[in-house]
Formats: sequence, structure tokens, C-alpha cells
Amino acid sequence: MKNAQFFLMAAAALLIAPLTLRAADMKVIANPSVSAAAVSADDLKDVFLENKDSLAGSHVDPVLEKGGPAHEAFLKVLGKSDAALQTYYRSLVFSGKGSMPKELASDAEVAAWVAKTKGAVGYVSADASAPGTKVLDVK
Amino acid sequence: MKNMLCKGIAAAGFLALASTIGLHAQEFRVFSRTVQVHGFGTQGFVHTGENNWLTMNTTNVGSGEFTDFGANATVPLFDKVRVGAQIYEHNVGQLGKWHPQLDWASADYKFKTWLSFRGGKVKTAMGLYNDTQDMDSLHVFALLPQSVYPIDMRDATLAHLGGDLYGTIKPEKKLGSFGYTLYGGDRRDSIYGGYPYLLQIHGISMQQYGGPVMGGDLRWNTPVKGFTAGTSYVYEIITGTGQLNPSIALGGPNIVVPYKEWSNNDFMNQYYGTWSSRSGKLRLDSEYRRYWRDQDIFSGQFWVTTDVRSWYVAGSYGINKWLEVGSYYSYFTNNWNCDVPGQIPAPSASSPDRHVYDKAVTARINLKNYWYAKVEGHFMDGYAGFMYPDGFYPQVNPQGLKPNTNGVVVRTGMYF
Repeated sequence: MKNAQFFLMAAAALLIAPLTLRAADMKVIANPSVSAAAVSADDLKDVFLENKDSLAGSHVDPVLEKGGPAHEAFLKVLGKSDAALQTYYRSLVFSGKGSMPKELASDAEVAAWVAKTKGAVGYVSADASAPGTKVLDVK
Repeated sequence: MKNMLCKGIAAAGFLALASTIGLHAQEFRVFSRTVQVHGFGTQGFVHTGENNWLTMNTTNVGSGEFTDFGANATVPLFDKVRVGAQIYEHNVGQLGKWHPQLDWASADYKFKTWLSFRGGKVKTAMGLYNDTQDMDSLHVFALLPQSVYPIDMRDATLAHLGGDLYGTIKPEKKLGSFGYTLYGGDRRDSIYGGYPYLLQIHGISMQQYGGPVMGGDLRWNTPVKGFTAGTSYVYEIITGTGQLNPSIALGGPNIVVPYKEWSNNDFMNQYYGTWSSRSGKLRLDSEYRRYWRDQDIFSGQFWVTTDVRSWYVAGSYGINKWLEVGSYYSYFTNNWNCDVPGQIPAPSASSPDRHVYDKAVTARINLKNYWYAKVEGHFMDGYAGFMYPDGFYPQVNPQGLKPNTNGVVVRTGMYF
């Protein structure tokens, strides 16, 4: 009986682990000009899919990271694969209904860009240093 | 001819150069604003066994007269205002004929998530792919289902000169979200499209075709992950003007007189749904479109009604990063009527001159992150007659049409 309970708990932990890893793998950062301190997952998704361009009254511009663990974790928030996300952006660009967000190669580049660019919102690995930015709490 | 050859060589050169150097989106700054430049180009080859298709001479060795390319520039003028424009050029058999078009040119003001505005020449929101039907890189298929997105009738729905009100509404999280677009404006078709080309068999040389359009699109991003459903509607008041040689279709004198036709009641509605798996590898699409047209033709001498009903079911699967496969069944019927002497429709839609049923299978290979190739087989039943464009034209099939057409489409493209 105890063995059964152990296996059930282990199985539950294995199921939950990927979900918690997603949040733990990255953090959302913003330029200090962005007045919001927190953002809902839905609003974050809308910002990166260009349905929404402001948070708490501040204009925001999304910036993406090209690959890496933070990007992989962030794709889970968006609910899209990398290929589907690129196709989505190209459909906006070529139909005149949006533009391609800035894409940068590393956590350091994203953090530096967000720190110096008014309204920029990006994501980096949870343990990455991002001086000059603020961390948005994702609710 | 020489001009066309030069342009063909230029297009091939663009693709060859792009494949050599690799393609990247370009950005530069003007007055502290970042201008983005993007582009794309494709080259196709079509071979069919029985009938010539899509105005190309596709039988015998096949046809490579299947080229398009485009480029755009966009710039955010202010935080909420973005402007941009795209040029598009294509040559598909007798269509397009290398005449560049202003594909879209618009200013977009994002006022609120639930209310925004764009104006200018705007791609029309209709169904899943109307506004992106020319952007081959976005699709698994080399040809989208021709029943709903006919390449020879792209002008009919593609864009309008006017304005859109659009936005996204989220009433409650458990209900998902609703995206809407309401629009009004003016549609101007190219005279190098399928309809003016078809009219040439009646001695009509169309010089202008278009008119006011108004419509909307409502799509529901349902709470079911990956599933979106929607509906679109457009009402149009279309007028065409040009010249007529009555000797060709009406047995009149061999002279040229002014010609006019106009719609009395002209609308299109569309219903659609799409689902993609969480991984994005599997995607299923389906759309239904009905197009109703009640027109006075030959400057009011005759009337014609056209009732096109079309739908498709499509599925695609990404096997890995490099290879995607897909298949669709595309259904097109044309139920027409008119009082032109001698023009009597076949009594049943099962007659090959009333329908086109197309089964397609495709493979897309992503060669680089900016370069792909597609190979697609088509197995078509019917040719749907000559009362409305449907891919098969008498000018390129002077020997008459056979009931079935099998073909292969190979297409490669690049984008940046």
C-alpha cells in the first residue's frame, strides 16, 4: 500500500515537474518605464502576439530571444512551437497587420536591450543577471 | 516577350542570389524610427497530364510560368501608429503578366485591444487565409485549396481601399476570446486576373472591374486549446467596364462598342474552423464558402446568376523540423443560370462542367530557415465549365476539356 502511494506521488511529481520548470526556467523583464509590476499570462501572451501594445497604461514592445532554455520556456506560455510562432509573425508582416519583434541571441543581449529601450518587454533565464530592468511578476 | 524574359531572369536571379547569400530581414533607422524591410519570392513548375490548368500550358513538358515576389517596408511612426506598404508582382500563365501591384499600403492605429483602426489599401479579413493567400512560405501546400482560394480569382477578395475597425474582446476567460474586423471600401481588380481573361472568349476586353465592398469577420478563439472557429461576410456592388466585339459571342457586326456589366446582388459568406495540436505539429483546417452573384451582362441585354458553393478539409503534420506533409480534399460546384441564348447549364452538378473535386497530397521540405521546397500531387475530377473562372480556360484548352486532370506542382520559395 505504501509502495502504491509512493508511486502515485512520484508520478504526480513527474507530471507537475515540467509545469513548474516552465515558470522556473525564465523570468519576464521590462524596461523601468513600464509602470506595471505584474502581468497576467493572458496579457503577456497578447503582448507577444501583438494583440495588445500596452500594460497598465504604458506602451510596450516585445523582444524575443532566438532559442535557448528561456525561449523554450516562454513558448509554453504562448502555447506555440517556435516554427508556429515564426509563421504567425510572418503572416502579420506580409499581410500588413503587424511587424516582426526584435530577436536577440542571448540573455545578456535581451537584458541589455530591455534596459536601454523604453517600453521593452522580454524574457531571460531565471538566473540571468538583468541590471537596469525590472522583473514582472507573472500571475 | 523580351521584357517578360528579362523579368523572369530577374526573378530567377533573385532566388539564386538569395540562396547563395542567405536572407535576413533588413532594418535601418530614419529620424530615430526603425524601418523593417521584408520580402519573399517563389518559383513554381506545374505539369498536368490531361488539361492545361491555371492559364498555363501545363500539359506536355509542363510550365514554369509560375513566379511571384514581393517586398514591404513598415515603420512605427508613434507608439500606437504604424505605417507600411508592400509591392507584389506575379506571373502565372496568362495571369498577373508581370504587372506590379500595390498589395497593401496602410496606416494602423492601435487605440485599445478591443478597438483599433487601419486604413489605406488593406488586406481583407476573410476566412483563415484570404489575407495571406499569396504568402506561400506560410503554408504547407504549394496551392491552397482552389475551391476557396483560387489563384486565378485572388483579386476578387484580396484587398480593399478603405478602412477596418478591428479588435479582440474577452468577455470571460472560460469563453475564450473573440476577434472581429468590420470593413468598408472599394475593391479594384487587376485586368490581368482570371475573370477578365475568361471574358475574352466572349469578345469582351475589360478595362475596369470593381466597386464598393463592405463586410466583416468574426473569429472565436475557443476555450478548447488550439481550436478557432469563425465566419465572414462581404457584400459588394461591382461594375465592370470595357469594350465588346459583338461578332464573337453574339453574332453581331465586327465592331468594337463600349461594354458594361454590373451586379444586382453580390455577396459571399464563409464559415471556417482550424485546430492545431499543442506541439503545433498537427493541424486541421476546414472552410466553406458560398458566393452568390446576380449580374446584368452585355450592357444589360442579359442576366446571369452564379451560385458557387465550395469547401475543403485539409490536414498537415510536421514530421520533423525539415519535413511537413499534408493532404486536402477541395470541393467546388457552380450552379449558374442565365438568359443568354444557347447557354443552358447541365442539369446535375455531377456533370464535369459543373464541378471540380480536387484531392491533393503534398510534402514541404524546409531546406534552410529562409528557403523551402514543395512537391504536390493533384487528382481532379471535373473542370466546371466556362461560366465562371475555375482554373480551366478554353483559350489554353482549344481541343476541349477532358473530365479528369492529374498534375504535379513543384514550388520553391524564400523569404526574409
